Formats: sequence, structure tokens, C-alpha cells
Amino acid sequence: MTRHIDEGEQPNTAAADVTGAVTIRSLTKRFGELVAVDDLTFSLQQGTITGFLGPNGAGKTTTLRLLLGLAEPTAGEALVFGRRYRDLDEPARRVGAVLESSDFHPGRSGRDHLRALALAAEIPQGRVEEVLELVELETAAGRRVRTYSLGMRQRLGLAAALLGDPELLVLDEPANGLDPAGVRWLRRFLRRFAERGRTVLLSSHMLAEAAQTVDEVVIIDHGRRLASGRLDELAEGGRTLEDVFLELTGALS
Amino acid sequence: MRALLRSELFKQRSTRTTLGLFAAMIGLILLAVLLHGFGLSAASLGDPDVQLMVLGRGEFLGVLFAALLGALSITAEIRHGTIRPTFLFTPRRARVVRAKVLVSVVIGAGFGLVAGAVAVTAGTAALRARGIDVQLDRGDHTLLVAGSAAAAALWAAIGVGVGALVRNQVPTLIGLCAWLLFVEGLLAGDVGSLGDVGRFLPGSAAAAMSGQDPGTLLAPALGLALLAAYAAVAALAGAFATSQRDVG
Repeated sequence: MTRHIDEGEQPNTAAADVTGAVTIRSLTKRFGELVAVDDLTFSLQQGTITGFLGPNGAGKTTTLRLLLGLAEPTAGEALVFGRRYRDLDEPARRVGAVLESSDFHPGRSGRDHLRALALAAEIPQGRVEEVLELVELETAAGRRVRTYSLGMRQRLGLAAALLGDPELLVLDEPANGLDPAGVRWLRRFLRRFAERGRTVLLSSHMLAEAAQTVDEVVIIDHGRRLASGRLDELAEGGRTLEDVFLELTGALS
Repeated sequence: MRALLRSELFKQRSTRTTLGLFAAMIGLILLAVLLHGFGLSAASLGDPDVQLMVLGRGEFLGVLFAALLGALSITAEIRHGTIRPTFLFTPRRARVVRAKVLVSVVIGAGFGLVAGAVAVTAGTAALRARGIDVQLDRGDHTLLVAGSAAAAALWAAIGVGVGALVRNQVPTLIGLCAWLLFVEGLLAGDVGSLGDVGRFLPGSAAAAMSGQDPGTLLAPALGLALLAAYAAVAALAGAFATSQRDVG
């Protein structure tokens, strides 16, 4: 990109004191009558793995789409590093995201999928090989994606998110379709990622898995926040995350 | 913008879609030109206007396939979901559409150029094989090929614009095919009530650019100006709509 100063990138005094990787403030999204996200507020500190939990249809994916600039909020704001996603100078180098596990052209090879994205963000092609190795897809990289298993697609999506060596990873249901070895691989991968001071926001409704991976949780339903905080504080007194979750979400239905 | 152009060009090269469209186009042109060239009576093929029409099948099919190519550049991304990573890497979405327009225009021009040249070559060979006097000169041939290239380039931009507006792949492709193969002919033909206005439609403007039907259609330069205006409106509308609407 040749233009570094874009409209909407003027110094913002309100955003200047925001240090969180993710800041969601009074975020609301309506689709006609349906309120998908309802006055939602939470923020993430850097260096944590946060589980964004809720039943199907709770508004998790919509919130992530709003955060990543794929949809416009009806009200409120969703910021990454104190700015709207689209106002980041080099978004792919700060934020990596996977929203769907199947966002590939079936007739394009895994390597070429990554190459096309790397070209758009001016990321060196050598980085494509690095991320392929990171997700252990080197041998399959030349094959068309239509031959990939769901687990391989998940890892290819993750490779794309990692291309820009981002500080924040946003993952929607990353463990879907992974076998037990894949789940453990992902958990260790995310742990190492966060240990270097980076931040992960992952949505899930697989509570047992989430409980093993995350430090913090935000639980939502009907687009509203039900609870948030450290996992060990929420699930204390012998209660599991599942107990807490079902109690909270059951109370609303 | 340069990085985006490279990325979009690479996307076009890294699937078999572009090559498949190209091969289908060449096959159809040969079929159409040879059917006309060997099927029509020698008497009617002696008419220079009929010769222009036969050799102009290149422009007609070049335009159609360039429009499909442009439309696929965006609707295939929407259909397969790659539009999400694309927009995550380039959140200023109108830029992505502009890059797709530029790349499609270049490839579309290539399609049109080859389409025009193949039709002229095959058509002339067919006429000669039947011993029919070829009434078209070098100027006609140049116009057939250059007009075909320019018309296909502009229709590729229209394809991107329509694809960005409609988004859903199947209706987009059917709509473009129906318009070019059928609807415009109906509107401008004897049964349509448009009559004289018909030559201002985008398919007729494209035909005018390769020198077709000089008695009815616009002059080639006017056709070019008109089709360029259509292409600009379609591309701008597609880019604007893409920047405003949520991504599914």
C-alpha cells in the first residue's frame, strides 16, 4: 500500500489510552427485527487466550465479523488495538483471523491460496513456506484444496491467519473437525502463541475443550454478555465451566 | 494497488477457470464461424454484411466469455468464501473490486483479441475454401480484431460490476448469458418496441465496435465511448455496493 494516511486515521484521543488488543463497547447489531448483538461490552488484555462462549445463535460469529470489519455495527464500536479494523495500516500483520473452515477455492492448491493472500499484503513468499511448515502442511501444499480433510482445511485457514505474523488471533470454532491429535496440537500451538505476549480470541461451544485451552472467558447468549473473567475464578468451588455455562444460559431460556 | 493487482492476477492464474473459459470460447467460435461459413448459401455469403457478421462471431463470443470471466472473479470468491480472507487482508473493499476490474479488463482484452483473430482467420479460410470472394479488406479485419478486444475488455468490467452487485454466482452468470444471447436481441429486434433505441444497448454497442451492421448500429468510436460509459457505471456501482454492504 502506498497510502499510509487514510481518512479516518486521524489521531483519536479516545482511542489513545486503549491498550487492550480488543475493545468492544456497547456493540449492537440488528438484522431487521432480530437483535444479533445487544449492547455487548468486553475487552481483552494482551497475552491471554480468551474463550468467547455461547450457544449456537448467541451472536458470537456476528460479533467477530463486526470486530473484523466485515459487517457494520448498528450501534457501538468494536476496536482492535484501539482502532477500527479497516483503519489499521497493515491489518494482516497485526490481526490474523479464521471465520470459516472452508473458505478456499477447491481447485486452487493450499500453497497458491496462501500466495494470493501474501501478494495482497506484500508479505514475502518465503513466509508462505514458513507457515506451511508451522501447520505441518508442507507435503500437501501442492495439492488442490478439494482433496483436503476438514482438519487440513482448518490448518490451512490457520496458516493464512499466521501469514502476517500477527499479534492477535481471532478464531471462530477452530477445533471443529479436528481429531484428538489435532485438538491437542492446536491447544499447544495457541499456548505457545500466547506465551510470547500475543493474544487469542476464540469462539467455541465445545466447553470441555475450551476449558483446557483458555485463560479467560466471555459468555454470551442472545447477543448479551452473561459473564466474563478468569476461567479459574468463574469455575470455582468444584464447578466445571459446563456447570457455569448451562446455569447462565439456561436462566435466560 | 500494485500488490492487489498482483494478487488478483495470481488468483486468475492459479485455478483452471480462466483456461477452461478460454478453451470453451475458442471451441464455440470455431463451431459458430464454421457452421455459418459452410452452412449458409454461397449467395448470401457473398454479401459483405453477412461476411462481417460471420467473422464477427469472434467479438460476440469474446464479449460473452470476458463478461463471464469478470463476473466469476468476484462471484467465485463469494461462492467459495475466499472473499472473507480477501477482505480481511484488504479491508478497504472497494479497492479489491477496482483491482478485479483492472485485471479482468486486461485478461478480457486478451480473450477478445484472440477471439477476433480466430474468427477472422477461420471465417476467411471457410469462405476461400468455398471459392467465395472475400469482400472485407485489411481495415475491416483490423476493426474486427481490435473492436473485439476493446469490447471484451469493457464487458469484463461490466461482468465484475454485475457480479459485485448481484453476488450470487448462478443468477449472475445466467443473467449475463441471457442478456447477451437473448434479451437484448428481443428488445432491439422486430418484436421489441425499442427499435432505434436498441443500438444504444451495451451488447449492440459492443457489436458496433467491431464494425458490425454499419447501417443500423453506431459508428465504432461511438460504440466504444458508450460501452466505456456502461463499464464505468457498472464497475463504480459494484465497488460502491461492496464497500457499503456487510460481507456474508
